[in-house]
Amino acid sequence: MRCTSMLKALSASMVLAMAAAACSSGGGTPDSGDEGGTGGGLRSYGDPNAPAELEFWAWATNIEQVVDIWNRQHPDQQVEVNSQAQGDELVTRLLTAAKAGNAPCLMQTEYQALPVLVSNGVAADVTAAAETVRGEFSDSAWGLTSFSDQTFAIPQDVAPMMLYYREDLFEQMGLEVPQTWDEYADLAAEVRRKAPDRFLTTFSSNDPGWFAGLSQQAGANWWSTDGEQWSVDIDDEATEQVASYWGRLVNSGVVDGQPMYTPQWNRAMSDGTLLTWPSAVWGAAVLEGVAPTTKGKWAVAPLPGWTEGEDVSGYWGGSATAVSEDCEDKAQALKFATWLNTSPEAVRGLITTSGVYPAATDGQTSTALDSPPAMMPNQTGFYDLASEAARSARTFTWGPNVNVTYSVYSDAFQQAIQGGADFTSAVAAMQDRTVADLEEQGFSVSQE
Amino acid sequence: MTTGSVGTRADHDRRHSAPVKSGQAIPLVPTAILLVGAVYCLIPVLWVVVASTKGPDELFTTFTLAPSFTGGFWDNITDLLAYRDGKFWRWVANTVLYAGVGTVLSVVISALAGYSLAKFRFRGREMVFRLILAGVLIPQITLAIPQYLLLSKVDLVGTYWSVLLPSLISPFGIYLCRIFATAAIPDDMLAAGRVDGAGEYRLFWHVGLPPMLPGLVTVFLLQFIAIWNNFLLPFIMLSDDDYYPLTVGLYALLNQGTSQPVLYTLVVAGSLLSIVPLIVLFLLLQRYWRLDVLSGGLKA
Amino acid sequence: MRTVQRDSADRAQAARPARRRRPQARTAPYVFLFPAAVFFVAFLLLPILYALWLSFRDERVRGAGIVSVREEVFVGLSNYASSLSDSELWASLGRMLVYGVLVVPTMLGLALLFALILDSPRVRMRSFGRLAIFLPYAVPGVIATLLWGFMYLPNVSPIRAAVEQVGLPPPDFFTPTTVFFSVANIAVWGGIGFNMIVLYTALRALPSELYDSARLDGCSERQIALRIKIPLLTPALVMTGIFSLIATLQVFNEPQTLSPLTNVISSTWMPLMKVYNDAFVTNEIYSAAATSVLLAVASLAISLGVLSFLQSRAFGEDR
Repeated sequence: MRCTSMLKALSASMVLAMAAAACSSGGGTPDSGDEGGTGGGLRSYGDPNAPAELEFWAWATNIEQVVDIWNRQHPDQQVEVNSQAQGDELVTRLLTAAKAGNAPCLMQTEYQALPVLVSNGVAADVTAAAETVRGEFSDSAWGLTSFSDQTFAIPQDVAPMMLYYREDLFEQMGLEVPQTWDEYADLAAEVRRKAPDRFLTTFSSNDPGWFAGLSQQAGANWWSTDGEQWSVDIDDEATEQVASYWGRLVNSGVVDGQPMYTPQWNRAMSDGTLLTWPSAVWGAAVLEGVAPTTKGKWAVAPLPGWTEGEDVSGYWGGSATAVSEDCEDKAQALKFATWLNTSPEAVRGLITTSGVYPAATDGQTSTALDSPPAMMPNQTGFYDLASEAARSARTFTWGPNVNVTYSVYSDAFQQAIQGGADFTSAVAAMQDRTVADLEEQGFSVSQE
Repeated sequence: MTTGSVGTRADHDRRHSAPVKSGQAIPLVPTAILLVGAVYCLIPVLWVVVASTKGPDELFTTFTLAPSFTGGFWDNITDLLAYRDGKFWRWVANTVLYAGVGTVLSVVISALAGYSLAKFRFRGREMVFRLILAGVLIPQITLAIPQYLLLSKVDLVGTYWSVLLPSLISPFGIYLCRIFATAAIPDDMLAAGRVDGAGEYRLFWHVGLPPMLPGLVTVFLLQFIAIWNNFLLPFIMLSDDDYYPLTVGLYALLNQGTSQPVLYTLVVAGSLLSIVPLIVLFLLLQRYWRLDVLSGGLKA
Repeated sequence: MRTVQRDSADRAQAARPARRRRPQARTAPYVFLFPAAVFFVAFLLLPILYALWLSFRDERVRGAGIVSVREEVFVGLSNYASSLSDSELWASLGRMLVYGVLVVPTMLGLALLFALILDSPRVRMRSFGRLAIFLPYAVPGVIATLLWGFMYLPNVSPIRAAVEQVGLPPPDFFTPTTVFFSVANIAVWGGIGFNMIVLYTALRALPSELYDSARLDGCSERQIALRIKIPLLTPALVMTGIFSLIATLQVFNEPQTLSPLTNVISSTWMPLMKVYNDAFVTNEIYSAAATSVLLAVASLAISLGVLSFLQSRAFGEDR
């Protein structure tokens, strides 16, 4: 009650954001969190309190349990979760479903897939509604779903990158945690010297998101648009720096070239053949499935920087909640989407039952994150590190054909690793094919 | 090619297998070749069995083919069956529906078509034959999205029909039925039946179908497995995991996203459980291959 | 009841000169074909035509910036042109040829061998052998990557471990050359059971009197197999051969299974992988349709050619 009267009294959108922040952090009662989102923004889409039945395609584990909280509180606004498998094919299924008019009202989409959906008219512009919760998110997180002043989804979770390392083996082998990438390179050589059957890490041709995150950290910006034209700069200085760095390491043999997430990689992570893993905040959960016998042996440090004292990271993955263009109940869907990603009980549920690291700033300091993940009971400050990384993580604009770029990444880097070639050639291939594909689709691409 | 009632193969084999001449004892070389082939085929299957006995902390850390006896098997099975309140049972039920109903109907359709192509001479027969062959030439990968869009126009997407109906047409099944019909049904019996004035449908039921039975059993078995293990069609058609068959359900288990540990052991256990009904089916059906339908006895 | 009436009517008809075929005999073949025809048109022909239609179109973006309007336009043969001029596609066709030469004879040869052995009298462990060879076909594809990862990857492979135990250098399954054998092995392993069952069933349908006189004359089982059984099996052999050929032309599952495990298999290593990549990863369904049509036309030409050549042997008495 206090909330809505405050909202009615104020009009500037800046103050709206402050009020929304006050509302959702002010109390845990469903109503206050709810009504914070039913401000003017939602009404532009329809009646947010009208009955509706919404379909939600999501893959986050056990998200039905979080959605159940909403369903209990909103008996006439039921959300039905349809669990999907995460991956490229899901985007295709969404596009196909949209073409046939079957797109679900709500969808969980990865950040890099969002522009593809937007440019195919599948994800709706939600700027007006999103404004009401703008203050819940850091600039860094907000930039993940907004381009040129339009927002297309509510960020759900973020995945800032961090360095996982085998604390026990580092101690055993007398290694020091690297602060810069130069130190990391030296460390890689040192590891090979001390233990010829181990590697500091592996460079995977299967995980373009990993490389994108590292490039983001270096300052890359692969796509940009001025509203009229797109520019593609995959081969910018930052990315070339990252590529030639890793190319040097792989080609000289101090870093392995095997893909991740294979039985071989799983075993290598379990038995200490691989000593570090530049990964993201969800890495602990993955390790639990991949190398459960190494519980308690891993620790986390900030990702090494390119310059001394630099404390910047990148993102690897993360997803948001989008609303489809064809949805007839956009207001209600947006009400749910904002609730899911900003209300305390939903965010808490996401953390505890779905294991996601929330994008909402308040969520990142939730008490649910007081204890470290199960795999790393020794590192009590795990989530503090994570929130620091999240605060300063760089992102870049994703373009409308990320899927093409990612596909070329796999093939080009596979070839480079296999043939011992300079990795910048792979980056060049990505650049060329991305530009060609954009032009072929009919986009206007600036030639630089 | 006539099949008289000169005797069953069992009779012949018995009569001519004794006395055992030298060099005609248990043929060692063929048996050895068979055993080598069996071992070659079994090793990867053995992995499935062995891997399902391992717990998550053993799957990637112990020797690949060494089973674990620490109770991992029962843990995996119980965890799998408990996953999301028994979703696995739902997937099993769905798979039985798709494969059971789909195969029965598909075999009926294939048998009718194969019989027609084998035993009738009609205008356009070879063209029909070639047309059905051409149907195999466009792979499911290309057909999946057009099939989805077409079924969506009649609002069937996401229902059981969307997976059942496209499985009913099987060009390979039709070909097999044609081959078996040609080989097993004697033309002169059909001709005799027609001279006696029997109608075509009656002829099919009484004269055509029985000899085809062992062949139809094969078609049934192969089609059942094909539908049971089909992935792409249900993957593209279904979005509600209450309708998923085992293949898509287990795939979703493997690809739950990065926030949770991947449940490899559950997926392997689920795959093992998925193979078991197929083995049972195979064992049940294979006695039909021993049936000599004309004499009513069993072949050796 | 209908048949009884039909019988008396037929008998009346049979009394007349038999030159005019009974209406039922004329329509029966088509009636039998009707259910198959309905589903064929609905689920094969229509989607194929739709795919064909898609192959002449493409999506173009109108408007600029993030939110743009997409429209489908007719582009004539340009999808085909870009497919044909794609050097990767031609390279993948070459690989497919190598793969086919490895797989088809091996798979069919082994399937025939095992079917013949299973059909021989007095061979022991037939039931066990039959079940064992059939089992690979029953293994679901969802765990294939996991399974073959365990079989082939160096630090987990029991095959390599066994070879090392014997003292020999362990095989590397993922060099650019050996990967062909690795992929072919998966296809052979998975396909023998299917083809063996088809051939075995055909063998069981052959009446045994054919062999009796041969056995009386003292022919060995091997001679019976070579001289009598195989020739009689020709229709089944030809059909499984054609279908194996088509399956080779559409090879997808096996290399796709191994692709995440190694750097040696690209996303366009085989022609159909490129189609899948276009259709399901980069959302270029139009290009996928065009490439599929090209492959289908090539497959059709090859299959019909082989079939015509062998037609007389496949369905000789029907000609």
